[in-house]
Amino acid sequence: MQAIRVENLSKTFRVRKKEKGMAGSFKAVLHPQTEEIRAVDGVSFAVEEGEMLAFIGPNGAGKSTTIKMLTGILYPDGGRIEVLGVDPTKKRRQLAYLIGTVFGQKEQLWTHLTPYDNFRFSGAVYDLSERETEERIEELSERFELGGFINTPVRNLSLGQRIRCEIVASLIHKPKVLFLDEPTIGLDPVVKENIRLLIMQMNREEHTTIFLTSHDVGDIEKLCRRIIIVNAGQIVLDDSVEHLKRRYPDKRAEKMQTFESPAGHVEPSAIPLEEIIMEIYKSEGRDVSP
Amino acid sequence: MRKYAVVYRSVLMENIQYAANIAMGFFNYFVFIFIFIKLWEYMYRTPGELIAGYTKEQMIWYVMMTEMILFGSNAGSVAGEAAGDIRSGNIAYLINKPYHYTLYLLTKYTGEWSIRLPMYAALAAVIGRVMVGPVPGFRLTAVWAMALCVILGLTINAVFKLCISLISFWIEDATPFQWLYDKLILVVGVIFPVEIFPKTLQPLFKLTPIYTVCYGPAKLIVDFSREKCLEILAAQLLYLAAGGGLMFLIYRKGAKKLYVNGG
Repeated sequence: MQAIRVENLSKTFRVRKKEKGMAGSFKAVLHPQTEEIRAVDGVSFAVEEGEMLAFIGPNGAGKSTTIKMLTGILYPDGGRIEVLGVDPTKKRRQLAYLIGTVFGQKEQLWTHLTPYDNFRFSGAVYDLSERETEERIEELSERFELGGFINTPVRNLSLGQRIRCEIVASLIHKPKVLFLDEPTIGLDPVVKENIRLLIMQMNREEHTTIFLTSHDVGDIEKLCRRIIIVNAGQIVLDDSVEHLKRRYPDKRAEKMQTFESPAGHVEPSAIPLEEIIMEIYKSEGRDVSP
Repeated sequence: MRKYAVVYRSVLMENIQYAANIAMGFFNYFVFIFIFIKLWEYMYRTPGELIAGYTKEQMIWYVMMTEMILFGSNAGSVAGEAAGDIRSGNIAYLINKPYHYTLYLLTKYTGEWSIRLPMYAALAAVIGRVMVGPVPGFRLTAVWAMALCVILGLTINAVFKLCISLISFWIEDATPFQWLYDKLILVVGVIFPVEIFPKTLQPLFKLTPIYTVCYGPAKLIVDFSREKCLEILAAQLLYLAAGGGLMFLIYRKGAKKLYVNGG
């Protein structure tokens, strides 16, 4: 069954334009000028339940705008969205009970409260009973090893500890889909690896669908089987990570080497995934599907 | 409702840590009140004199009560924070939760004044008793009615300030509008009671939120009457219904226009 279905999604922003200097400022007041930016342009894809998908692209590609439309924060200009059968534009609050969100660059916890108080707060917000909340806190704090700092105010936690707490807070209501927007940003390699393992474990044990955006290729390689690359508001590639690594070098034969085994099979490329992704980013919106 | 109760409790827990910081503002309150006590002592030359129907004690207590409401209700969460959330895009991380953003902010605001207001009320009571004397004709049995009017007044104030903040969905900066509203409330209602203004303007002022936000509750404290109390409560409920409706409408329209930078 599909957890997310998106058809021909589009979103245009109107951005104010101003010429430089004081004269430009006055002119902008008297004759305001705007420019239309097509942030998302006819995007269509589907994500199966329990799938771990990397939705990536360069800065300004439209990935965060897409996530914000999927989670009901932004209203699309066109197209259709269904997340777990719910239209986020019509039933945002109903959808909120089914999904979880983690924004690595944004603190969602109350910094002056302890993680425990934050989790109790999340439990109440998602209408869990006291007992359900307590049980879930116990289960998640054990799994995410929060015991040592669950009663320390969030403002005193390290970034890695905070991100673990952010993820736990977003999981308190057992969401079926988890949107992770750069969950490992700024973390050291050991903590990154730890977070990835926890996400994988959660996907395996709770069958949670993971929708991940990240600039860290390690996150993508370790967590996701499928990758969607967006650029200039359009999907330029939708493929499995494995297939991309095997097939993409064929298209870039002049620059990169493909390795054929004696049996004639195309072996996974020795070219790092990061380089392949960079090449695709440079395509600036052209379809590069192998 | 339980989720809003938890928001309220969380804000209380957070703000209780800042009780000492709140107490730092006592000095400003004292200076303000001291100046007004001296001003009104100068204005009232003869004992028992009435200005606009108020005795000197009533007038000073009136200002003390309105200033207590103003200092004790610091509307940061419904003014600066809400407008800032919209401008910075931070609202994106708050509106995808299963609560109503405006009610969430109003609950936060209520949690904030629940710490501040009792502290300022205690300070006002001490300063008033020591420097002015008891409130003339104060009825202890009517305290609940006065408290209810003060709470409703604070809530109406927050609703209107939130409405102004929500304009940020359309304009760059709602601060000038907040400033105008604050100054209107300050001059016509906080510093002077409505009766001090020309009779032709008084009905007009009574139609504005000023009547329900600070003038009404403070007037009840210094000159309580059952009729006046019912009149103010009725006006407050009307204002709350109208202001609440307006707030939900602006939010619903504005949220559809939300522009949030991507990443």
